[in-house]
Amino acid sequence: MKITYKWLKDFVDIRVSAQRLSEMLTMAGQEVTSLEKRDGDVVFEIEVTSNRPDCLSVLGIAREVAAIMGKKIKFSLQPSALNFQLKADSRKLRADSQKLIIKIENKKDCPLYTGKIIKDLKVGPSPDWLRKRLELVGCRSVNNIVDITNYVLFEYGAPLHAFDRSQLSGGSIIVRRAKNGEKLTTIDEKQRVLNTDNLIIADYDKPVAIAGVMGGRDTEVARGTVEILLEAAIFDPILVRRSRQKLGLQSESSYRFERGIDPQIVEQASLRAVALIEKLAGGRCRVAGALGVAQSKRRTIVLDLSRVNKNLGVNIPASQVKKILHNLGLRVKAGKKNIFSVEPPSYRPDLNLAVDLIEEIARIYGFELIPTTQPAIRPRVSRDNTQELVSLTKRVLVGLGLREVITYSLIDKGLLASFGSDAKGAIEILNPLSSEQEVLRPALIPSLSRCIAYNLNQKQDYVSIFEIANTYSASNSGPKEELVLGIAFSGSKTLLFEQGAIKNEFGLLHLKGIAEVFFNRLGIKDYDFTEQGNPEVIPVYVNKEHLGSMVRLSRTVLNKLDIKNKEIFALEISLSRIFSHANLKKQFAALPKFPGIARDISVTLEQSVSIKQALAQIEEIGKPLLKSARIIDSYKGKQIPCGYKAFTISCEYRSDQRTLTEAEINPAHAAICRELAERFGATIR
Amino acid sequence: MDIDAIKTQVDFEIGSVDSVRSLEAFRLKFLGRKGIIAQLTSSIPNLHPQERGAFGQEVNALKNKVSSLITEKQRSIASGSGESRQRTYDIGMPGIAQELGSLHPLTQVLNEICGIFKKMGFAVVEGPEIESEYNNFTGLNIPLEHPSRDVFDTFYLKGKERLLLRSHTSPVQIRVMKKQKPPLAVIVPGRVYRPDAVDASHSFMFHQIEGFMVDRNITFADLKGILEVFAKAVFGEDIKMRFRPHFFPFTEPSAEVDISCIICKGRGCSVCGKKGWLEILGSGMIHPNVFKHVGYDPKKYTGFAFGMGVERIAMLKYGINDIRIFFENDLRFLKQF
Repeated sequence: MKITYKWLKDFVDIRVSAQRLSEMLTMAGQEVTSLEKRDGDVVFEIEVTSNRPDCLSVLGIAREVAAIMGKKIKFSLQPSALNFQLKADSRKLRADSQKLIIKIENKKDCPLYTGKIIKDLKVGPSPDWLRKRLELVGCRSVNNIVDITNYVLFEYGAPLHAFDRSQLSGGSIIVRRAKNGEKLTTIDEKQRVLNTDNLIIADYDKPVAIAGVMGGRDTEVARGTVEILLEAAIFDPILVRRSRQKLGLQSESSYRFERGIDPQIVEQASLRAVALIEKLAGGRCRVAGALGVAQSKRRTIVLDLSRVNKNLGVNIPASQVKKILHNLGLRVKAGKKNIFSVEPPSYRPDLNLAVDLIEEIARIYGFELIPTTQPAIRPRVSRDNTQELVSLTKRVLVGLGLREVITYSLIDKGLLASFGSDAKGAIEILNPLSSEQEVLRPALIPSLSRCIAYNLNQKQDYVSIFEIANTYSASNSGPKEELVLGIAFSGSKTLLFEQGAIKNEFGLLHLKGIAEVFFNRLGIKDYDFTEQGNPEVIPVYVNKEHLGSMVRLSRTVLNKLDIKNKEIFALEISLSRIFSHANLKKQFAALPKFPGIARDISVTLEQSVSIKQALAQIEEIGKPLLKSARIIDSYKGKQIPCGYKAFTISCEYRSDQRTLTEAEINPAHAAICRELAERFGATIR
Repeated sequence: MDIDAIKTQVDFEIGSVDSVRSLEAFRLKFLGRKGIIAQLTSSIPNLHPQERGAFGQEVNALKNKVSSLITEKQRSIASGSGESRQRTYDIGMPGIAQELGSLHPLTQVLNEICGIFKKMGFAVVEGPEIESEYNNFTGLNIPLEHPSRDVFDTFYLKGKERLLLRSHTSPVQIRVMKKQKPPLAVIVPGRVYRPDAVDASHSFMFHQIEGFMVDRNITFADLKGILEVFAKAVFGEDIKMRFRPHFFPFTEPSAEVDISCIICKGRGCSVCGKKGWLEILGSGMIHPNVFKHVGYDPKKYTGFAFGMGVERIAMLKYGINDIRIFFENDLRFLKQF
């Protein structure tokens, strides 16, 4: 909200500079976000929080200034000089003129409506001082009548509306809900189709304004207008909010109505506008009418001084507390020993609880004067170690050279479609702003693949990334979130050795390697990557439970991602479930006392033979002397006939009781060679 | 002859010895019957009697040095499997190692912030991203149709129940307090979502860290104390802080926290909008209505809560001016962290 330095001075005696004033306001909770010298005045931009609609006016900010500086505000309630009185003891106003009939369909929708008929006025341009002030606060000048209603809105915070009375049929005002399909052309020349959610102002025949949001074109005050009906009212904030949202009409009026108007200021604003109109447009107000409640309910808040100091961690004396509250316009009655009853004014409906008053005291006293202390924290140790395991996982992967990425949890259905998924079962967003936010992702691989495509486009020749995030799926018991690890890589890496460069083309075995290192670090021993018919999708099992897959993306998918001449390999596994298999307990095993002996076997096998099974069989046969059998080399090339593969397997024999002799090892090794030849058709080289 | 010059010569020549043959040549040159050291020894009688002692000692030291260099060299040549060892590398070439990966800068900042609070005794708790309206709004004293909700524009999910993507990490306050009794000191990191149009300073997904503490006698001064420790740990000891009154529905009193601009040190620059201050978080004393919702007695307990945007902190810390870069995951960006 914009406000000017000089305008504020109309209401409170300010002796400090605009700069200093802005700092004081900021530190009291009315944050001045900018300060601009213009036309001999200073314009403040203030961010008024949604709990303080009373501050959406010059008067409201002036009250704050007065409270901060301990000054008096130059404003008092005016009695109505017209044909009804605003009595202090009567909260109700009633229409009392036969010439102005006000009907309110539902008091809840419109708790207060006041109307004044001003005759014989002359519509014309506003005087310079008025135009200038409006322009300084960002409001365009229209004509004197409209400008005055706007001026009073900025000054008192109560929105007003002026109707050209000659266009109102029947001379009366009806505040009611619109009928479904009822139409109104608003002053911005747009036809609005209304429904029963819209509160409207109507005459006998038709809607003339959307209550609190915007007036109708046909009753707008224009050059030929000589008689107006001036409206000052309160409308239900929720109804104004709904109309504003549905019709997409944000205005200075709706902004204030949504936040709430001080009932006491409504008639005051109306009187102020009447006075200005009579002065500047030459009209006379002879008829006035009103209906509704013109004061908020009085309430008392009990405030215990010890509670103030206990909550804030300060020691503010009672006299100072009383003074602060008094300066804020609150009535303070001292009760028993340091217990006050406090009555807030009608413009502060936000004050209801003792803590509300504590905040008022704190912000005027000054947050900067509250000391800093260190509370004693009694720590609790959580049994859930998910975060530790996530952090461990990330450390392992970073150590293996992978880069962590963070991608959006919301994706477009198109991305899922390019992975051959129809997005069925994916959770959809009701109100996405764009197609990129259509669904909560059911998997990480699509996002990671897109990320790889992006980086390949940036001419990276090797990308290896991972992400740990939730995936989302619908289930009978409602939406489910699952913590998932996704790894993806693409391209090749050239490693420069002394012997020269070696180009390392990445593939599924690299993924498998990463997964194995990870599983081993988690203390998981039983894991399995067995191909099940499809060499492009390898399921990953941990303790016989299927926890995810490794995939080589198909050419179709790669084409859709615009990736040429490159492959993507990816892994996705459920961390929520893998972590339940983790075992980080360590147990020391005594080091071998006797040396082991290694014997290598070079074999050629048919392509179809499973090397994994062969190794498992060797380990079985070699018991108990064989401690391990592992592949230490593999061969491809001319020496190996087509349809065959060749390996060197290193067997380590060892005993815990003695150093083994050749005589002991030879038969065991021979048995292994025999088994390989007979059972797996191996040629021993 | 100058002994120092000879020492230098020894050091230089042993360096180029790389075979049994060249080592023998080296030995003969220095330790041979007519070698340099023999010559030095034979020159002793010609010296002034007072200089002889010192000179003799120096010659002996040199002799010992050459002998031990030869033994050492013999050993290293022998371990080079008998053949002469050639220098096969140029130390100017790139070293050979596996490249280290990296954590996303947001993870690094999250870890740093959570680490500070963990050291102070806070426990880290996480909560679901799909939430109920109750936990995200009502329980936190945010009325459903109220302007205070405007800043919390929210993504809703299709379906019968009105579920949403949490627009802040505060619903975890409700979850934790409903499950546990005070004392509590908890920190909650996580993803949050708001349907904001994406630009340099807005993203529809971002990260927050929420913190709260509840016990008997927790004060606003405690809130100031804890956040001061945090801000100084992240931004440096000489940072200035200020608490500015603000409004949040779930705290009363509420404060926004500013630090003196880390770019201009408070003098005013484009980053802080010439104000000299940077807003880094929102905070306050937990509203009694929130306590009522979770079944705590507001007369017995008080507490504070605070929340911050991780991207904002990371942008300030690393001098990043566009939030979108975090989610592009360009390797040229990631490799800088």
